[in-house]
Amino acid sequence: MKFETNLQKLKESVALVERVAGKHITLPVLSCILIEVKKNIAILRATNLDVGMEISLPIKSQNEGIVAIPAKTLFSFLSQISDQNHVVQLELVSGNIQITSAKTRGVIKTMPIEDFPSIPSILEAEQFTLSSELFIKGLKSVYYSASVSSVKPELSSVYVYKDTGGLAFVATDSFRLAEKKLKISIPSQFNDILIPFKNVSEIIRALEYIKSDVEVSSNKNLISFRAGDVYVVSRVIDGVFPDYRQIIPKSFTTEAIVLKQDFINALKVSNIFSDKFNQVHIVVDPKTKVFEIQTKNVDIGENKTLVDAALTGERVEINFNYKYIADSFQSIDSDSISLQFSGLNRPMVIRPVSGEQSFMYLAMPMNR
Amino acid sequence: MWQTALIEIEGAVSQANFSTWFKETRILKEEEGVIFLGVPNSFTQEWLYKKFHNSILRILRQMNDRVRALEYVVIKDEERRGTESKKGGFIAPTLSMPLQDFYINKEDNLNPRYTFDNFVVGPFNELAHAASQTVIKNPGHAYNPLFIYGDTGRGKTHLMQAVGNQIKKLYPEKKLFYMTSERFGSELFTAIQENKVQQFKDRYRKYDVVIMDDIQFFANKEKFQEELFHFFNTFKDSGRQLIFSSDKHPNIITGLEDRLRGRFSAGMVVDIPEPDLESRMVIVRAKCTTHNITLPDDVVEHLASSIEDNIREIEGIINIISCQTQLKNKQLSLNEIKNILKNNTKPKKTLSVKEVVKIVSDFYNIDEESINNKTRRKEVVRPRQVVMYLLREDFSMSFPSIGEKLGGRDHTTVIHSYEKVKEEIKTDTLLSQEIGQVRSML
Repeated sequence: MKFETNLQKLKESVALVERVAGKHITLPVLSCILIEVKKNIAILRATNLDVGMEISLPIKSQNEGIVAIPAKTLFSFLSQISDQNHVVQLELVSGNIQITSAKTRGVIKTMPIEDFPSIPSILEAEQFTLSSELFIKGLKSVYYSASVSSVKPELSSVYVYKDTGGLAFVATDSFRLAEKKLKISIPSQFNDILIPFKNVSEIIRALEYIKSDVEVSSNKNLISFRAGDVYVVSRVIDGVFPDYRQIIPKSFTTEAIVLKQDFINALKVSNIFSDKFNQVHIVVDPKTKVFEIQTKNVDIGENKTLVDAALTGERVEINFNYKYIADSFQSIDSDSISLQFSGLNRPMVIRPVSGEQSFMYLAMPMNR
Repeated sequence: MWQTALIEIEGAVSQANFSTWFKETRILKEEEGVIFLGVPNSFTQEWLYKKFHNSILRILRQMNDRVRALEYVVIKDEERRGTESKKGGFIAPTLSMPLQDFYINKEDNLNPRYTFDNFVVGPFNELAHAASQTVIKNPGHAYNPLFIYGDTGRGKTHLMQAVGNQIKKLYPEKKLFYMTSERFGSELFTAIQENKVQQFKDRYRKYDVVIMDDIQFFANKEKFQEELFHFFNTFKDSGRQLIFSSDKHPNIITGLEDRLRGRFSAGMVVDIPEPDLESRMVIVRAKCTTHNITLPDDVVEHLASSIEDNIREIEGIINIISCQTQLKNKQLSLNEIKNILKNNTKPKKTLSVKEVVKIVSDFYNIDEESINNKTRRKEVVRPRQVVMYLLREDFSMSFPSIGEKLGGRDHTTVIHSYEKVKEEIKTDTLLSQEIGQVRSML
């Protein structure tokens, strides 16, 4: 096996699949990138048995063949070398892969390819095309809210379902919940899917590499994205996501509208003095026009910060975990946000006030 | 059998391969020589098939020569759950959302939370409960359709879903589906728009049991009623069970076609009336147990006697009490609970006599003035008596002042009317339903 290709292109593709290659897995070949060289094309494959990825790369090949190269070594080596002509040559020499650029040459040991599993493809699936940019937006807006524990697989997932006029993305760890709705035309027979949270970042990375429209297929066990030279497939959770809409408060007793940046700054100050539970105490009093954030740590000190806000409704004093509030800001583009309270044991609803209003965030209060 | 096979496989493949591909596999079932092998994910499914299919099959055949084929099935994540235990003793300081209450089964749309185990049976819903049990024993034949009616918050949905869950448990082969009539309507609407009415019909006709909640939404919607009528006929003729609920008896749902009315009444129509005090107390206690709080007897009695007709309201109050108990970390006193009740229950509406008269006369379609007149026409006498009854019963007005407000009648006339209506509603169901309807409009 011997081929030549553009160094930059190879670097990018290896960087992408290297993330997928398994780490500390019982089957050593899974920590490899499998490179299959055909005429004028090389296919790079990697999988950790949860996600699988394939990228094809234009090459000039002299001999066809297949080789499994430890992903980490290949990636570290490639990222350090350069070549003024941007060309790199890979050749299989007596069981080792020899990589040559202008000034550098490396020889990496390969592994037997027989045990490298095939990457499943989806047959008889529902298929539709959508913009990868939008899908990324949907995932990114919510996936940080998913549960990191694996006790409930459906909560350590991003739930994607067909909503009137598009797709809705939801994630929750039961302490907070993020929901993003996107206007995309979706075939009417689209079934709900639960994408495991830990696969989401790989999918996002692949979609960012794709940039263009992407063909999505899904069935009960898998979801795949295909566009031109990239194919990525992920396991989906075969489970039921709770009917979270019943938790969204339908009305509220107190509302505060604040500038997002003001609120972030105030929270940052408060966070210096928060306790080990990141507890912040929020006081909203529409009568005296006070919106105040207080924190107190017996070991450090305490602080009170006032935030300018438009307030309506009843007075409320309530505690939150700083982190659960702050997380939501990454998904809000508008200048102002609205905070709605509906009682001491009900979630606070955070929404953007202007611009795109397709995002909603719920944060549960603390009970002390 | 699989354990023995695994030992042989372990010898045939490398240790790394074995632990990657075979560790989490098990035989799910065997059907006519076909073995269904459960695997953890599609990657394993594909790879076992590609690489090890023949060897596995050979090993299985050696052990049992009836084995004809091997199929791989991905095991549901839910079934693998529970291997990880929660960290003990750790209490998250942030309250968590009550998500566990909202898992709804996708296939049948039932909420598994609604079962008979947590359904309180009292004298008030005994009949409905008994009828449901008969239906469960013999679905499709005993009472078809079963029609349950009663005011909101009396447990209709709970009862119907519990019937669904129970049927599912007893007859796993039966396909059933729960929906609100609103959903039926909106799906039919989209189907008409997209020209897919046939698919819509086919989809629902494949079920053995269909439970439809809140049928009163169909009032005045002719197209929906027509579709429901056809649906009804195909369903019942083929011996499949239908269960409906509504807030009123089918005969007094306005805007319902007669032919549907007849069909609703053809099976069994049961009423869930207002729960009696004892039942309410049992309900309060049951709700407390699920919330893990204990309330003293006087509090339970107070709660049960203050919230009369709506079980859902009881649930709401218990929720608040449980939350406050948690917050304050001590048991609430009767006074605190009285306060909660005051702030959270619907205040009794105050209506003027005039408004009551107007509502009643509108209901009976008579002139408002005639109530106050001396006329003894039959169509006016009944409404007038109803007005008096309501003013006394619901607004606790004194007999003399009722008489005075209604055209200066003597208080004995009022007493007579009140007693008369009170007696009659015990036997005259039409009258009691009329009064129920008027009350809901007040």
